Amino acid sequence: MSDKITNWTSSDDAMVEIAIRRGASRRELLQMMLMGGVAAAAGSTIIGRAAAAVAGQPVKGGFVKAAGFSASTADTLDPAKASNATDYVRCCNFYNRLTFINGAGETTMELAESVESKDAKVWTVRLRKGVTFHDGKSLTSADVVYSIKRHLDPAVGSKVNAIAKQIVNVKAIDPQTAEITLVAPNADLPTILALHHFMIVADGTTDFSKGNGTGPFILKEFQPGVRSVAVRNENYWKEQGPYLDSFEFFAISDESARMNAVLSGDIQLGANLSPRSLRVLESNPAARPFISKLGTYTNLNIRLDMHPGDKQGIAEGFKYLVNREVIQKSVLRGLADIANDHPVPSTSKYHNSELKQRAYDPERAKSLFQKAGVLGQEIRITAAEAASSALDYAMVVQQAASKIGLNVAINRVPSDGYWSNHWIKDAVHFGNINARPTPDILFSLLYKSDAAWNESGFRSEKFDAMLLEARGSLEEAKRKEIYGEMQAMISNGAGTVIPVFMSNVDAVSPKLKGLVPNPLGGMMGYTFAEYAWLEA
Amino acid sequence: MTTSLSLSNTQKARPRRFGYRISVVGAVSFLIIAAWALVAVFAPYIAPHPVGDIVDFDFFGPMSAQFPLGTDYLGRDMLSRILLGARYTVGISLAAVCLACFCGVTLGMAAAVIGGWFDRVLSRMLDALTSIPSKILALVIVAAVGTSIPILIVTLAVIYTPGCYRFARALAVNINTMDYVTVARARGEGLGYLIRSEILPGIIGPVLADFGLRFVFIVLLLSSMSFLGLGVQPPFADWGALVKENIGGLSFAAPAVVFPSIAIATLTISVNLLIDNLPQKIRDRSEQ
Amino acid sequence: MNSPILNLVAERIVVAVVTLLFVAFTIFFATEMLPGDVAEILLGQAATPEAVAGLRAAMNLDQPAFLRFIYWIGNLFTGDLGVSYVNKMPISDLIGGRLVNSLKLASVTAAISVPIALTLGITAAILRGTFYDRIVSIFTIAVISVPEFMVATLSVIVFAVYLGWLPALSMANEVTSIGGLLKVFAMPVITLSFVISAQMIRMTRAAVLETLSTAYVEMALLKGASRRRMVLRHALPNALGPIVNAVALSLSYLLGGVIIVETIFNYPGIAKLMLDAVSTRDLPLIQSCAMIFCLGYLLLITIADLVAIVSNPRLQ
Repeated sequence: MSDKITNWTSSDDAMVEIAIRRGASRRELLQMMLMGGVAAAAGSTIIGRAAAAVAGQPVKGGFVKAAGFSASTADTLDPAKASNATDYVRCCNFYNRLTFINGAGETTMELAESVESKDAKVWTVRLRKGVTFHDGKSLTSADVVYSIKRHLDPAVGSKVNAIAKQIVNVKAIDPQTAEITLVAPNADLPTILALHHFMIVADGTTDFSKGNGTGPFILKEFQPGVRSVAVRNENYWKEQGPYLDSFEFFAISDESARMNAVLSGDIQLGANLSPRSLRVLESNPAARPFISKLGTYTNLNIRLDMHPGDKQGIAEGFKYLVNREVIQKSVLRGLADIANDHPVPSTSKYHNSELKQRAYDPERAKSLFQKAGVLGQEIRITAAEAASSALDYAMVVQQAASKIGLNVAINRVPSDGYWSNHWIKDAVHFGNINARPTPDILFSLLYKSDAAWNESGFRSEKFDAMLLEARGSLEEAKRKEIYGEMQAMISNGAGTVIPVFMSNVDAVSPKLKGLVPNPLGGMMGYTFAEYAWLEA
Repeated sequence: MTTSLSLSNTQKARPRRFGYRISVVGAVSFLIIAAWALVAVFAPYIAPHPVGDIVDFDFFGPMSAQFPLGTDYLGRDMLSRILLGARYTVGISLAAVCLACFCGVTLGMAAAVIGGWFDRVLSRMLDALTSIPSKILALVIVAAVGTSIPILIVTLAVIYTPGCYRFARALAVNINTMDYVTVARARGEGLGYLIRSEILPGIIGPVLADFGLRFVFIVLLLSSMSFLGLGVQPPFADWGALVKENIGGLSFAAPAVVFPSIAIATLTISVNLLIDNLPQKIRDRSEQ
Repeated sequence: MNSPILNLVAERIVVAVVTLLFVAFTIFFATEMLPGDVAEILLGQAATPEAVAGLRAAMNLDQPAFLRFIYWIGNLFTGDLGVSYVNKMPISDLIGGRLVNSLKLASVTAAISVPIALTLGITAAILRGTFYDRIVSIFTIAVISVPEFMVATLSVIVFAVYLGWLPALSMANEVTSIGGLLKVFAMPVITLSFVISAQMIRMTRAAVLETLSTAYVEMALLKGASRRRMVLRHALPNALGPIVNAVALSLSYLLGGVIIVETIFNYPGIAKLMLDAVSTRDLPLIQSCAMIFCLGYLLLITIADLVAIVSNPRLQ
C-alpha cells in the first residue's frame, strides 16, 4: 500500500475535522477512511492534520481583516433587512440571537436560557440574566418583543416577514420572560429564532447605524459599501471569547482579487471562492481552504403553469436531462453533493434516504420530450450570474439537450434586477436558494401552494395539509415520515430541478484558528469573528 | 504667414517624401487580419470540438496533442472556443468601430464646416451623451429592446461616437481655418464637397489612428457587455469574455487565459500597425 | 484678444447648466425604464407585493417618481444633493470622502501619465519611422490590448503575492507616510496609466505628424530647418488642439471609468458608488454621481477647447 493519497480532497479533510469535533475516536476515523480507500498510514497523516486544526489553545489579541464578496450602499446593520453575507457577518458581530444553530446542526440556546412549549403553539422564552447592550442597557423581554414585532411591520421591510407572519402575538410576561403565540403549532420555532434576521436589538431602536446589540464586538466605524471596524466587547456575556482585539470587514467583489489578498497576507479571510480556487489554495502555504457543506443550491425551474412546462413530462424530462455528475465534477469540482430534486440535504435528520436517486438518462428524457411534442422546438432558459453557477449549469443542460435533438437556447440576462424580473416569472429559469435549517421553512417558503417563492407553481392540497400536520407535531418519528413523503412529492411532482447541494469555500490564513463549519453558511455561519483567534 | 500658406496650398499636390511602397509590417499585419477574418468565417468547420462540449474532466488543462490550447474552466476545448470567438470579436467590433467612426467623423466634420448653432447644439448633445454612464445605457437597452447582435453593435457604436466626434471636430476646426478651405468655400462648393475633398484628407491620419484605438477599446468593452446580458449568448463568447471567464487560471498561467489575450493582442496590434503603414497611400490617392 | 475667451467661458457656463439639466432628465427617464424600484431591489427575493408596498410607504416613495425628481432638482439649486433612498444618509456624506479618493487617484495618475505620454508621442513623431517609433507604437497598442482586469490581477499576483513588495489592496485610509502613499497607489496608478496613456501617445504622435505634413512645415523643412526644431516650434503649437482634446478625453475616464481598478484594489472611489446606486435604483445618488461626472467632463473639455483656441489664433 502506498502512502500517497490520490483521491483525497480538502472537502474530505473537512469531514474528518467535523468527525473529530463530534468526538469520533481515532479507530473510528481510520475505519471511516479505509472504507473510503485510504491506506492506514496515509490516514494517520490526515487525522494528524485535522486534529492539529481542531486543537490548540485560543489566545487573545490580534487584528483581523476579512473580505466578503459584495458590498453596496445598501449595506445595513439592521438585522431585519440584512440581505447577504456581508450584512450577516456584521450583524453577528454586534448582536446575538435567542437561539443558535451549532456546527453539528443542533439548536442551542444563546440569549435565551430556554424556549419551551407544551403545545408548540404558545412558547415561553426565558432570557439569560446579566446580559447588557453595548450602551449599558440590560437585556429584557421588552427588547425581544420589539425585535420580533418589527418583522411583522411591512414598513420595516423585513426579509423574514413571510416566516414571521405565523407569530400572532409576542408579549412580555416579566422582565426575563416573553411569550410567543403562533397562529398554529410549529415545533420548529426555536430553530426559526436562530435565523440571522431574528437578532435581538434594543427596544425602540430606529437608527441601526450604531450597531447597538449584545454581541461580541462593538462598532467603531461603519461606512455602507466601504467597510466596518469593530473592537472587542470587554463585557461580553459569554465566558469564552471573543479573542480578537479588533475586526475589520469589507468586500472585494472580484473573486481572484479576494483570493490574492489572502495569499499576500493583506487579509486573513476571503469569503466564498469558486471551487476552482482549491488548486491554488491547496498548493500555496499562505492560505488554506475552509470548506462548509451547506444545503445551498442553484436550481432549474420549469413553471408548471406556463408553456412549455404545462405539458405533461417536460419538467420530468429536464430532471433526467440534467447531468448531475458533470455539474458536481466539472462545474463545482467535487465541492457539491448530488441532490434528488428536493431541497432537503442529506445532512438533515429529516432527509429521505429511501427515495431513489434520479440519474442522468438522456434516452428517457428524449422519450418524455417526444411525447410532449417539443423536440425540434426551441426552449429558452433564462440565466444570470446572480444565481451562482447558473450559466454553467445552463450550458451543461444545453449540451445534453443538443444530443437528443432538443433545442435549448440560453437567454443570459443582467444580474441587475434578476430577482424581481425573471426569477419565478420566466417559464424556464434558474433560482438560487440558501440553506434553511428546517424542512418546514423550506417547504413553506418554496412549495406551499400559496408560497410567495413557489418557483415552479407547484400546487397540491395534500402537500399543504401535510405541511401543517408535521409542523404541529412534536413527535419526531411522525415528522420524519411526513417530511420524507413530502420530499418524494416535490421530487416527482414539482418543476424544480435541484441537481446538487453546493459547498462553500472560504480562503483563510493558516494563522487564523478556531473555525468550525456551520450549516447556516460559510465563515462559520457568518459568526467566525466571535470564535476565531490568531496564532501568535 | 498668409503668403506662405496660400503658397503652400498651390503646392499641395506635390509628391510626399514618405513611402509609397507597401511596407513589410503593413503586409504582415494585413495577412494576420485576413487570417482571423477567414477563421471567423470558417470557424464552425475547423473547430475540433463543439464549442460548448465539456471534453475533459480536468479544468484549466495544459496544452496537449488532444487540446492544443488546453481546456478552460469547465474543461472545454480552448482552441475551439477561440476559433468561434473570432466571429464575435472580429465581426462585432469591426462593425461597431466602423459605424462609430463613420458617424462621429462625419458629424464632426459637418459641425466644423457648418459651425454656428448646428455645431453648438450637436456638440453639447453629444457631451451630454458621454456623461451618461455606459452601464445605465446598456441596462436600459436590454430592458427596453432586448438583446441581439445588431443591437449590441449599435450600442457599442453609440457609446463611442461622441469620442470620435469630438476628436474629428477638433481636427476639422483647425483645417477649416486653412485658406484653401476658405477658398473652396468662396468658390461656392457644397458641404459634401468640402467635407470629402478638403477636410477629410487633412485629418485622415489622426482619424485612422483613432480608429485603431477605438477598435481596441470596443474589443475590450464587448466582453463587459456580454456580462451585462447584452449580446453574445453562451455557450459562445468573444475573446475578452474568454479572458474574463478564465481569469482564475492566471495564478498558474493557464493557457485558457493566456491564449485569448494573445489572440486579442495579435488582432489589435495588426489593425493598428496596418493603419500606421497605410496613411500615406490613402492620402495620396485622395489628392489625385 | 481676451474677449472671445471670456465669451466662450460665459457661454460654457450657461451651456453647462443646460447640459446638466438635460443629463438629469435623461438619467431620470433611463432609470425609470429600468425594471424594479428601490423597494423591490432592496427586498430582493423577499419582494412580495405587500412587503414592497409597505416598504415603499415607509421610505416615502409612494408619491410619483417624477414629482420626487422635480423636488430633487429644486433642492439642487440650493446646493442640497438630497438623501439616499437606500440608507437615508445625506448624499453629500456618501459622496464626499469617496470623491476625494477618486480625485486623489486621478490626479496622481494624470501627473504621471500625461508627461510620459506626451513625451513618448512627440519623440515618436520626431523620430518617425525609426526603430524607436515602431517600438513605441507596438508597445502602446499591446498595453491597451490586454484587458484592464488582467493587468491589475497580474500585477497583484506578481508584486503582492509572489514578491510581496506591494499590498494587494489599496486602503487609502491607512496611509501615514509618503512611502506608504507610493506603495498604496503604485499598482492602481500603473494599471490606469496603461489604460489612458495609449490614447494620448497615439493621438499626440498622429496630430504632430499631421501638422508636420502640412505644406508650410514641409517648406520650412526643405529650407533646411531641423526636424526637431520644426516639431517644437511650429508643428506642436498647431497640433496642440487635438492633443489637448485627446488628453481631456483620456482624463475624463479617470473619474467614472475606473470601476475595475476600484473593484480589484478595493479602492473606495466614486465609480463603484455610482454602480451601487444604479443597482439599487437609488435615484438621488445616481443623479448626484452623474452630475459630478458630467461637470468633470465639461470642465475638461472646456479647458481643451480654450487651449485649442488660444493655440490657434485663427480660431479666434
